[in-house]
Amino acid sequence: MKDIDPVNLGIMWDRLTAITDEILLSIVRTSFSVGVREAWDLACVLFDREGRSIAQATLSMPAFIGTAPFTMQHMLRRFPAETLAPGDVVVTNDPWLGTGHTPDICVMRPVFADGELIGFVMTISHLPDIGGAGLSPQATSIYVEGLILPICKLYQAGEPNQDIHDLLRVNVRTPDQVFGDLMANVNGTAVGGRLLREFMAEYGLTDLRALADGVIRQSERAIRERIAAIPDGVYRNEVDVEAVEGAVSLAVAITVDGDEVAIDFAGSGPSVPMAINVPLCYTRAFSTYAIKCLTTPSIPNNQGAVNPLRVTAPEGCILNAQRPSPTGGRHTIGWFIVPLIMGALAAAIPDRVQAEPGMASLFLLQGKRPDGRDVATQYFLAGGLGAMAGLDGRQTTPSPTNNAVVPSEVWESETGITVVRRRLLPDTGGPGEFRGGVGQEAVLRNDSGYPYTVSLFGMRTVYPARGYHGGGDGQRRRFAINGEQVAPKGRYVLRPGDTLTVHEAGGGGFGDPKARDRARVAQDVAAGFVTADAAARDYGETP
Amino acid sequence: MSFRIGIDIGGTFTDFALLEVGSGRLVIHKQLTTPADPSEAVLSGVPALLAKAGSDIGVVEAVVHGTTLITNALIERKGAVTGMLCTAGFMDVLDIGMERRYDMYDLRITYPDPLVPRQLRREVDERMLAGGRVGTALDLESVAATVEKLVEDDGVEALAVCLLNAYANPAHELAIADIVRKRFPALYISTSADVFPFIREYERWTTTTMNAFTQPMFDRYLDRLEGGLEALGFKGSLYIMTSSGGTVTPQTARRYPVRMLESGPAAGVLVSAHLGALLAQPNMLAYDMGGTTAKGALIRHGAPLKRYEMEVARTHDFKMGSGLPAKIPVIDLIEIGAGGGSIADVDIRGMIRVGPRSAGADPGPICYGQGGEQPTLTDANLLLGYLSADFFLGGDMALDTDHTKDVVGRVLAGPLDVSEARAAWGIHETVNEDIARAFRNHASERGFDYRGCAMVAFGGSGPVHAARVARKLRVPTVVFPVGAGVASAVGLLISPLAFETARSERVALEDLTAEDLAARFAPLVEEVSDYLRPEGIAEDEIRVSRWLDMRYRGQGYEIEVSLPDLHGSELLAALPSLFAEAYEAVFGRSFDQEPIEIINWKVEAAGPRPIGDGHYRLDVAPGPQALKGTRLAYFPEGDGFVSCPVYDRYTLAVGARFTGPALVEERESTCVIGVGDRAVIDDLGNLIVQTVQQEALS
Repeated sequence: MKDIDPVNLGIMWDRLTAITDEILLSIVRTSFSVGVREAWDLACVLFDREGRSIAQATLSMPAFIGTAPFTMQHMLRRFPAETLAPGDVVVTNDPWLGTGHTPDICVMRPVFADGELIGFVMTISHLPDIGGAGLSPQATSIYVEGLILPICKLYQAGEPNQDIHDLLRVNVRTPDQVFGDLMANVNGTAVGGRLLREFMAEYGLTDLRALADGVIRQSERAIRERIAAIPDGVYRNEVDVEAVEGAVSLAVAITVDGDEVAIDFAGSGPSVPMAINVPLCYTRAFSTYAIKCLTTPSIPNNQGAVNPLRVTAPEGCILNAQRPSPTGGRHTIGWFIVPLIMGALAAAIPDRVQAEPGMASLFLLQGKRPDGRDVATQYFLAGGLGAMAGLDGRQTTPSPTNNAVVPSEVWESETGITVVRRRLLPDTGGPGEFRGGVGQEAVLRNDSGYPYTVSLFGMRTVYPARGYHGGGDGQRRRFAINGEQVAPKGRYVLRPGDTLTVHEAGGGGFGDPKARDRARVAQDVAAGFVTADAAARDYGETP
Repeated sequence: MSFRIGIDIGGTFTDFALLEVGSGRLVIHKQLTTPADPSEAVLSGVPALLAKAGSDIGVVEAVVHGTTLITNALIERKGAVTGMLCTAGFMDVLDIGMERRYDMYDLRITYPDPLVPRQLRREVDERMLAGGRVGTALDLESVAATVEKLVEDDGVEALAVCLLNAYANPAHELAIADIVRKRFPALYISTSADVFPFIREYERWTTTTMNAFTQPMFDRYLDRLEGGLEALGFKGSLYIMTSSGGTVTPQTARRYPVRMLESGPAAGVLVSAHLGALLAQPNMLAYDMGGTTAKGALIRHGAPLKRYEMEVARTHDFKMGSGLPAKIPVIDLIEIGAGGGSIADVDIRGMIRVGPRSAGADPGPICYGQGGEQPTLTDANLLLGYLSADFFLGGDMALDTDHTKDVVGRVLAGPLDVSEARAAWGIHETVNEDIARAFRNHASERGFDYRGCAMVAFGGSGPVHAARVARKLRVPTVVFPVGAGVASAVGLLISPLAFETARSERVALEDLTAEDLAARFAPLVEEVSDYLRPEGIAEDEIRVSRWLDMRYRGQGYEIEVSLPDLHGSELLAALPSLFAEAYEAVFGRSFDQEPIEIINWKVEAAGPRPIGDGHYRLDVAPGPQALKGTRLAYFPEGDGFVSCPVYDRYTLAVGARFTGPALVEERESTCVIGVGDRAVIDDLGNLIVQTVQQEALS
């Protein structure tokens, strides 16, 4: 088939994205999972018949966009394309083949038009439960982190594989909800197939080859141009991150050579006996994400954006953990990959990088409401963003993950836990010509009348968010129960009347604080983001 | 004979429509908006309209008014110096915000500043607990002292009172409002549970600050309008259109200006619903596209879908999440940052991108010849032959085709190595896809099957794109309504007096008794009916609608369930199946084992429909010269430019039929009829088009 002209290519490309958006929305609205509906912990990706990714839903979780293409290849190795039939649905939640931890299910459906295989639709979403001990930092091996489905067919030519269904049903706590969410994915991929066929009919296409070639070629060209604009060289960075007891070191060497980038994590510390290890698929996903933010943030993602990148890490290091390392809280370490890469490139492209973020805290809680009903839920708090050239970091905004505020009114009514206060913490943003975003204080009191267990996956309690180019560091995170500081990773019991206090970390500053616009310093003091004392100390401003 | 007048103030034009009640005679008028004081255009336009109609203001029974004043005040931040009182420990709610990035890849996203700066927020010692129990009593004396300082030291003119859990128990907010009113009678006060008592403090409080911020300005504006109309001799009633498609008295409008945020577009949707009833099409898509944005809405069983949240004053490329959220009842509008003025360029993919930047009215598209040098959608539509260089705005504005072609060639066609016509088609079709995508996603989220329903197209650019968008959506029928150029003003004429309120109160269905159910609805019904009674609406004319937002326990999304006219134990018994039906309509399945909860209780009272199901007819005479000639226009099915007939919309006779390609011109727009589409003028003068549908692959 001949090339598609650039006019049609643009139009059809947008349509592919529209199709994935529609699939994603159909899953969000039918999901029981808190992660899916509050944090958009899901994704949808379209592949051509060779298994190259060509489009993804706009609101997909970036990590999944990075893992899905590899999951697709693993699936095609297990079930070669020529063996697949209409109505087949292939699934897996294996952390090393999927997204890095067990709760995320990857659901793939081959799409046929007039009897010919034209491509694949994959959706990924975080299930309400997957059995095992539940997510906890204290898991010591993958075997307690729930059921693992190897790559298998959930449906064969439209017929359910009853053994797999039964196996899953007896292994999870809330089977109806889990199946509800699983079926939302199964149906979503079916909707995707219908939309693709309608689209092809409208534009008179019999296959997606020329379109896929065009989409991948144009994306690859765009990202290569921008990589080529980064000066060649080897850029290194190393950060310490708190692990079990003491730190684990993350190291990166980024080689920019013409229009290609090689990212290697050699020198990073070993895996640990705690559920914060990162399989390589997740490391690669966040590496791709960081490069995309720095080069081509505005264009849709696909195979073309990945082709110029190579990501490696030594086997057994915490960024390429091997079985049976536990991985449930892999984000706790994985999030640091983004600032690690930005820090390495800070010298090369100073006007594009963002200073280190304060990041965010995600708490898992289990207990009872005042009426005695069981609750298993999550609470979320964000620290400050890092500053960048020309832009202060925003307060209380998550990065590199995304999530959304838990309204105090909703939280109190659903849990019986009272939010005593939530306040911005002045002076927690790193000083700089552009100031880091401030963090916040939250105080929660268990007024439910029953004990609550709370799992913390905290970070940045020892190592603050670093500023760049002369900008100062943000303030550190802190957890306390009844006023007593507690370790940032662990499972605790909040008895009735107990309080949990969290200080969220600030983001790093950017540039020399002495160069900050005086009017902005005064504004910060007036609004209370910076105290008068700190203005005098950090900015030389006498009140 | 009595008359109603509808007046819609838009960004560029103020539209007028006069309806002779009974005969259905419709007279329309349009003049430029006067941004400095919008009441000027209103007060000079009313006599002009009456002169056109040959009638006297003395017999006008009602003036219904829609305005973008509130939205503009928020976008331009032109409102009162506003202070805020919050529960101790929570004054930073507005800054903490949504704790969310609305774009995952763009590191430079920005957010709107809160309407009340941190310096003007004060904490109050008090605490309502979840469920509405008092945790900490209110210290009223310290409140008075705090407010005194805000007024005297900071010059606060309006005050937002925002307390945690006030949605469950507003007692503390009311006590504060009471004492503040007594001590500071000139201060405007908005309390969060009064403005809209929904759970979620950030959104409710932001809404309350919007209300406070715009209240003094809107009060003064209504003063001028009422005084001016009175001076003209107007003796009827003035009503203001709300975002949810009903009208309210000026008194109510003064109390809740934030409810007037989107009144113009809401009125346009009402016209579509009204047409649906006349055409026996219960399910419709309303599609309005003007100079900077396009808006859409879904109409199910004759009623526009509503929601209880919208976003105002977006700060970053019109992106969702970059604005301020308002919790109010609104017609559920789809907003798309694409209009005639949207600028097209080649993006870093090497593909055509349209919007979100807009050339606006100044400098406007290239073809206006006012200095615009960036290709816009209107420029593309001119090059494609859809718009006439000589009949734009009825010939009042000549368009410059040659220069437009030069610029499109240089900026788009050259770099892409295609012809100017292909580049123009790229712009046009990219927008069609954007619109279709927005409709699809919106419908998909709401479980609305748009295939098979009818689309109503209006606005300056809507009729140019509608038929092709409809094909993409597999929508078989497109209606180009009579009076499309002033659709919102017409919508005002058919909008009933109505008021709506809601309460958030979570109740497990298994714990609910019939008595509870009745006891919870009764005060809400009283409250909303009280907005209608002073206008002389009899009890038996008040139409009460009730809805419950329900969900399976543990699921985050509520489904709105419209309640039938059942009461007591009958209603209670019907609730599980009503919910299951509504749930299945959206999600295609339901669960009979999962426990159900009620989250929100919603009630609306509406007065009689001013013109019932009556029709209206534009006051123009058909002429003999309906076919004006032919023009070359671009249709990809015809492999490029094809010669097609051009008709004058106003002189096409009832019953006229023709098949596309064809162009039908009216003063404000052109209806583009695609190849093979079949068109007919119906009895009321509406142009109805049946679009060609394609078969999907199997």
